[in-house]
Amino acid sequence: MKGCIFNIDAGYLEGLCRGFKCGILKQSDYLNLVQCETLEDLKLHLQGTDYGTFLANEPSPLSVSTIDDKLREKLVIEFQHLRNHSVEPLSTFLDFITYSYMIDNIILLITGTLHQRPISELIPKCHPLGSFEQMEAIHVAATPAELYNAVLVDTPLAPFFVDCISEQDLDEMNIEIIRNTLYKAYLEAFYDFCKQIGGTTADVMCEILAFEADRRAIIITINSFGTELSKDDRAKLYPRCGKLNPDGLAALARADDYEQVKAVAEYYAEYSALFEGAGNNVGDKTLEDKFFEHEVSLNVHAFLQQFHFGVFYSYLKLKEQECRNIVWISECVAQKHRAKIDNYIPIF
Amino acid sequence: MGAMFRSEEMALCQLFIQPEAAYTSVSELGEAGSVQFRDLNPDVNAFQRKFVNEVRRCDEMERKLRYIEAEVHKDGVHIPAVKEAPRAPNPREIIDLEAHLEKTENEILELSHNAVNLKQNYLELTELRHVLEKTEAFFTAQEEIGMDSLTKSLISDETGQQAATRGRLGFVAGVVQRERVPAFERMLWRISRGNVFLRRAELDKPLEDPATGNEIYKTVFVAFFQGEQLKSRIKKVCTGFHASLYPCPPSNTERQDMVKGVRTRLEDLNMVLNQTRDHRQRVLASVAKELTSWTIMVRKMKAIYHTLNLFNMDVTKKCLIGECWVPTADLPNVQKALADGSNACGSSIPSFLNCIETDEEPPTFNRTNKFTRGFQNLIDAYGVASYRECNPALYTIITFPFLFAVMFGDLGHGCIMAMFGGWMVVKEVSLAAKKSNNEIWNIFFAGRYIILLMGCFSMYTGLVYNDIFSKSLNIFGSSWHIPYDNHTLAENGALTLDPKDAYTEVPYFIGIDPIWQSADNKIIFLNSYKMKLSIIFGVIHMIFGVCMSVVNYNFFKRRYSIFLEFLPQIVFLALLFLYMVFMMFFKWIAYSTKNDELAYTQGCAPSVLILFINMMLFSKNVPEEGCKEFMFDAQSDIQRVFVFIALLCIPVMLLGKPLYLLATKKNNPKPEHSNGSVNQGIELQEQTDLGDVQPKPEAKSSGGHDHEDEPFSEIMIHQAIHTIEYVLSTISHTASYLRLWALSLAHAELSEVLWNMVLTFGLKDHNYVGAIKLYVAFCFWALFTLAILVMMEGLSAFLHTLRLHWVEFMSKFYAGLGYIFQPFCFKTILEQEENKDD
Repeated sequence: MKGCIFNIDAGYLEGLCRGFKCGILKQSDYLNLVQCETLEDLKLHLQGTDYGTFLANEPSPLSVSTIDDKLREKLVIEFQHLRNHSVEPLSTFLDFITYSYMIDNIILLITGTLHQRPISELIPKCHPLGSFEQMEAIHVAATPAELYNAVLVDTPLAPFFVDCISEQDLDEMNIEIIRNTLYKAYLEAFYDFCKQIGGTTADVMCEILAFEADRRAIIITINSFGTELSKDDRAKLYPRCGKLNPDGLAALARADDYEQVKAVAEYYAEYSALFEGAGNNVGDKTLEDKFFEHEVSLNVHAFLQQFHFGVFYSYLKLKEQECRNIVWISECVAQKHRAKIDNYIPIF
Repeated sequence: MGAMFRSEEMALCQLFIQPEAAYTSVSELGEAGSVQFRDLNPDVNAFQRKFVNEVRRCDEMERKLRYIEAEVHKDGVHIPAVKEAPRAPNPREIIDLEAHLEKTENEILELSHNAVNLKQNYLELTELRHVLEKTEAFFTAQEEIGMDSLTKSLISDETGQQAATRGRLGFVAGVVQRERVPAFERMLWRISRGNVFLRRAELDKPLEDPATGNEIYKTVFVAFFQGEQLKSRIKKVCTGFHASLYPCPPSNTERQDMVKGVRTRLEDLNMVLNQTRDHRQRVLASVAKELTSWTIMVRKMKAIYHTLNLFNMDVTKKCLIGECWVPTADLPNVQKALADGSNACGSSIPSFLNCIETDEEPPTFNRTNKFTRGFQNLIDAYGVASYRECNPALYTIITFPFLFAVMFGDLGHGCIMAMFGGWMVVKEVSLAAKKSNNEIWNIFFAGRYIILLMGCFSMYTGLVYNDIFSKSLNIFGSSWHIPYDNHTLAENGALTLDPKDAYTEVPYFIGIDPIWQSADNKIIFLNSYKMKLSIIFGVIHMIFGVCMSVVNYNFFKRRYSIFLEFLPQIVFLALLFLYMVFMMFFKWIAYSTKNDELAYTQGCAPSVLILFINMMLFSKNVPEEGCKEFMFDAQSDIQRVFVFIALLCIPVMLLGKPLYLLATKKNNPKPEHSNGSVNQGIELQEQTDLGDVQPKPEAKSSGGHDHEDEPFSEIMIHQAIHTIEYVLSTISHTASYLRLWALSLAHAELSEVLWNMVLTFGLKDHNYVGAIKLYVAFCFWALFTLAILVMMEGLSAFLHTLRLHWVEFMSKFYAGLGYIFQPFCFKTILEQEENKDD
């Protein structure tokens, strides 16, 4: 039934989004890109794709950072076009997507100010999708409580932040905990929101978000080995909307080393496959890459169904992966380091 | 016009050009615009081609040009159009041009950089001035309160203390963007827990953003606070919100002095700004003069290098090899262009042009002029003719406007249309110069000659239908007279005119007699007339189409098809439908009121349609008393023979060609194939001479030969489909021509309704009110005539005519499987680029 009336509000945007998706580079494009000798070659090839003339007005010689900026700018323009034309509940959904960038920006700024960097140097590094009005004044805050009271209380992130209000000074450890707590709250809220929308959107998005939550839980666990983070604190950071919840998370909370994490993953078919294929030797793919690959396949699957919001999320994520790929290839080309040039993650 | 009957003969040529002469030669070829190059390196990536660096240089120059153009537009300097497009620069000039562009770009960059700096200064000073002026009000207000409290302090000690603390309040003053004010204020309140007092005043006039030139609205604020720690935090917030802070002395006199100082500095700065602006204008104006020709030159250059990228390098690197399609008629021009190209760069070795034989289907190229182009486009829209197939566009020039006119027949409407078309044709040059983006207008303008002809033909058919805005013209005097006396006329509302008494036996000179205008049975009469007319035209048109196929069979050396396909087709069509046309004429001639024989008077005239149906079904009709069933004596037997022969044609159509092909195939196995391999042998030899020329992609055999390779079953299926389609289509297409009558009827009826319902309303009164009514009614009538009868009806008649040509006429002989010849021509390339810019 939802499908019948979906097109009234979101049909145009879904069509637009699927059109954008067709512009995502194919395997054959990547094969051409990795053959490039210089960044100019890369530019010439990208001109033949949907990117068109996005680099035409850049004076030579190109740098990787300009390519990165332009790729991101194009993506942001597309996303904002979608956002500006959307109505409820799609607009809230799209806003939810931007919150994760906001979290990243906040953490970036706080870490930067902690290291005495001037704020004007940090601002250009922030993701434009996650910028908000009070962002640049973030350095007035010295404690999480202040951060909440002065800066975040007016932003949509405020409800996520409630769990991390404390009077402790902001230090590296604290910031990491804030980031993860924020993410946990954000993922759970987003998960609930998608559930509430229901229908195909819930089916598709909950799958993707559950994976995202589990990935975070596993990564947090692996990264916490050898740090001061206590097991109880660690357990508090796990997002509780994944498939690992509750048994897997309880097992992860008890884990002491990588092997134990792997043993936990053994119980879950899809994750054990990821751990199987991962390794740190030369030629092996890292666990992180494996996770990325799995994410890409989930996002590609989102396009198999119609009449749901998942395509917007998936498009953004796929496009981001593509930007990472192109930047990776450009870096390899620019630094003449071709041995690892094939380590990009193909999408189609 | 002979050239238009078939597309031009094309030759596949190989070009051998010295690398140094390549650029100039291709430039000459681009000016000539009669060569279509083929890509000889289809497997090579865009960035691995030979001239990719030059293309990149062109891209860089284009980027600079775009930048310059944007700057010129920003300052509103007019870019004059060039009269004659400059030729592509030769390689030496390219370097000059590049340097020149570099210099200009840097100059403009520097200019705008300076301007931005100056404007930034100016902006800051203006803001400071505003801060000083606006804060004045706050401070005076505050001082007044202060004065108040001072006087009050005599009475109460408490207020005195307040006044004392006020003295220790610090403040910052600055400017912030207006849309950020609420968030800014809230944030200040939050970080100080409500201990900041903010006063603000909006600037009425927008300021100019120095970098982009956009207008920005700002607000002046003064924040009062207490304590140093708070000050640093407030400053942090201010930087966070991009508020610019300005020093503002606390005492009144200092402020006054500062305002004065700022004002003088502003005036100075204004002068400097004006001077830089003038200088910038001068620089841009001088650049603007050259800009268009530079752009054209760079675009031509880029096109040349793109073309050179299609070329192949000889192994010895001594010459470039290109392949191209050339119309054989243009070969001398191409030779000349190549020679010019070699001369231009002083190369001692001339370039070679070598025609090679090929199995490949060449592109279709019909040379058109401004008159025939419109008609050719109508045909190409259906499908580009196969190579050297006969081109229906030639006949379309007349048949198209004619069939249109049969539907649109009205002298008045045709006249309007002809005048519109004529105006476009007469003003052609000036209208074409005004390039319009209006798609509808461009369509009309491209079809101006079609519209003119359609208008003229409609005037003619209008005259034949005797129809002008639904009224008739009585030019030659009706050939009917009224046999009744005045008394009878006065008594009766309607009377019948018997042709026996009332008709003078001399037909009206041209077209329909105007007397029909007042007849009650006008529509019945006209329907019968127009229906017959449509069938007659339709059958003739179709027979003509079928006959055209003979020309194709003859040309493509498929003589057997004349006997096995054309002959049964034409016999089938003629014996059934041409016979029906014959019956119509016979009925017109043989039956008359003046005939003495009862069987040939008007009452006994049999229906042609019923006769035809009976002929097909072999059934009989019982005639009325005194009449005969048939028009002439042997008709029944003749009809039976005709149907029989026509039915016999169907198996011939179905089996003739496949069986013939089967028979010939058995007799001489694969004659064509060996021929093809001989051809290839010659090519291979040539190629080995030249070194490593890529072997050409496997050529598709042309349409005429492909039957030989097909298995018998496939030929059979094709032929069966073709036969069924043809047999059914003779009936459905004949019926389809009835649209000529239907649209013509609709048009006539609509215009009559419009006259009766709208204009008559204004013509009824004979006093002054009538004049006003007529004035209004005429407005509506004219509007509807133009909008509905000329525009809408014209469009619908146009579409129906198009269909009659594409489906009913062209399906009889036209394959339309070719691809169009797209020569490398600077003119079209520049036009395309320009359209892209718009």
